[in-house]
Amino acid sequence: MLNTDTYAYASQLKAIDPMQKFIIAILTMGVSLWADNRLISITIIMIMSGITIIRGGTPLTFFLKLMSIPMVFLIIGALTIAIGFSAKQQSFIIAIPLADFWLGITQTGLQQSIDLFLRALGSVSCLYFLALSTPMVDLFSVLRKLRLPKLMIEMMGLIYRFIFVLLETAGTIFTAQSSRLGYVNLVSGYRSMGSLVSTLFIRAYKRSNELYTSLEARGYDGEIRVLEEPHVGNKSLLAIAVGMNGILIFLAMALR
Amino acid sequence: MLDEDEAEEMNETILELKDLHYYYPDGTHALKEINLKIRKGEVTALLGSNGAGKSTLFHHLNGIVKPSSGVVFFNEQPVNYSRKGLLDLRQSVGMVFQDPDSQLFSASVYQDVSFGALNLQLPEEEVRSRVERALERTGIAHLRNKPTHALSFGQKKRVAIAGVLAMEPQILVLDEPTAGLDPKGISEILKLLKETQQEMDLTILIATHDIDIVPLFCDYVFVMDEGEICLEGTCEEVFAQKEALRRVNLRLPRVGHLMEILANKDDFELDRIPMTISGARRELKKWRGRNNT
Repeated sequence: MLNTDTYAYASQLKAIDPMQKFIIAILTMGVSLWADNRLISITIIMIMSGITIIRGGTPLTFFLKLMSIPMVFLIIGALTIAIGFSAKQQSFIIAIPLADFWLGITQTGLQQSIDLFLRALGSVSCLYFLALSTPMVDLFSVLRKLRLPKLMIEMMGLIYRFIFVLLETAGTIFTAQSSRLGYVNLVSGYRSMGSLVSTLFIRAYKRSNELYTSLEARGYDGEIRVLEEPHVGNKSLLAIAVGMNGILIFLAMALR
Repeated sequence: MLDEDEAEEMNETILELKDLHYYYPDGTHALKEINLKIRKGEVTALLGSNGAGKSTLFHHLNGIVKPSSGVVFFNEQPVNYSRKGLLDLRQSVGMVFQDPDSQLFSASVYQDVSFGALNLQLPEEEVRSRVERALERTGIAHLRNKPTHALSFGQKKRVAIAGVLAMEPQILVLDEPTAGLDPKGISEILKLLKETQQEMDLTILIATHDIDIVPLFCDYVFVMDEGEICLEGTCEEVFAQKEALRRVNLRLPRVGHLMEILANKDDFELDRIPMTISGARRELKKWRGRNNT
């Protein structure tokens, strides 16, 4: 998750207005879910991956690695749909006998599971397009424009900022403990982990106090207001995306 | 030297602490009878060993902490601790904390720098131009699109300073500005502060135990020990009292120490004990001139 953010910062699509990227991703995802057609799904996977890799500049290997994460769940999910029980052997393409029943894959089950698999992968590629081109900070600005409660966005922002500080602190403590053989066996490992967690909690508490003081010193009055950097609006990109989705919808209708 | 003396007399007091006492909630007497005056346009150092009370004193300067007794004056007016009064005070007294990780709250450099200026209820255009100027001045304009957590310690420090400069304060208060920086980082930060001071007509106050930077950088020095101001004066005056400094776990600048040994033990006849490298060079050249003729 932290890695995707690094690639998002490096992406050549980063400068584009995050709201537009958000609309493109959600719109395309909606079409992918609605169309329920493997041709449409494959097209969407190709387009979204293509934009992310070729236009955005995300390395192919990293993208494939990322794609393989949901693969495990997708394959298991698809298999459970493809495989069915029946008393008659005729309905199966391949089947094995199991007491009085047959366990096997039916034609429709196979079709369904392939459709589902591609549909899910299509949606995932849309989300990855967003995640790999839009840093978290820009996503917060989208949420702000979508009128999510301010407090919630502030909390998300602070949590995101301090995850890194927390990880760094935890890492430092862990190294210090390991170098004094804190994790040499299971018992001392548990003990060290316990003190790491409690120390981390105390440090976090102290840091939150310091943060409050320093925010106050800059005129904090209960609401964190910041200015965002202006983004490059690209109306034609949005138009292309809408057009593309229009064509996809039309195709899906025609193919039905 | 003469010019500086004249300038000092012309300078008015911008910040003053008078008979200030502070007790921690647990009853510890943290600050005792503090009297100090910060003159406008100067760089003042607050020297003290760890735990001397420097940070606690600093927290009084922009109203984060209210004194148990005594008064804080800003521009000769006692500080008004109402919401409005505090906002005015915090606009004028900008504070840079020691650990930038506790000061930077946003993952975006640009957003973090804009925070303080935005709290001053300025129009957006004005805030944007102030943020630009602060980014330029601190030399971090190229980092504006980087996430905060990807920056080095020195870069984070600059972002922290930029966030305060964007509020365009009259006084910049820095707690241990050189702590944790490498030698190059230290000289860069000092250069940045010096330039900013001249361009923005700032008054600067730093708390430090980095003694070697004081004679290079500061006009006036206060020395703190156990919650009290035990010495004050120009660099020359303070560093002339080396025994008093040692009593409070401080020392002379390295160069000053060397020159003192040369003068006292090795019979170099020096007019004065210089505290900086350039000063030492001047004295030694003078000494050579005398001995060659």
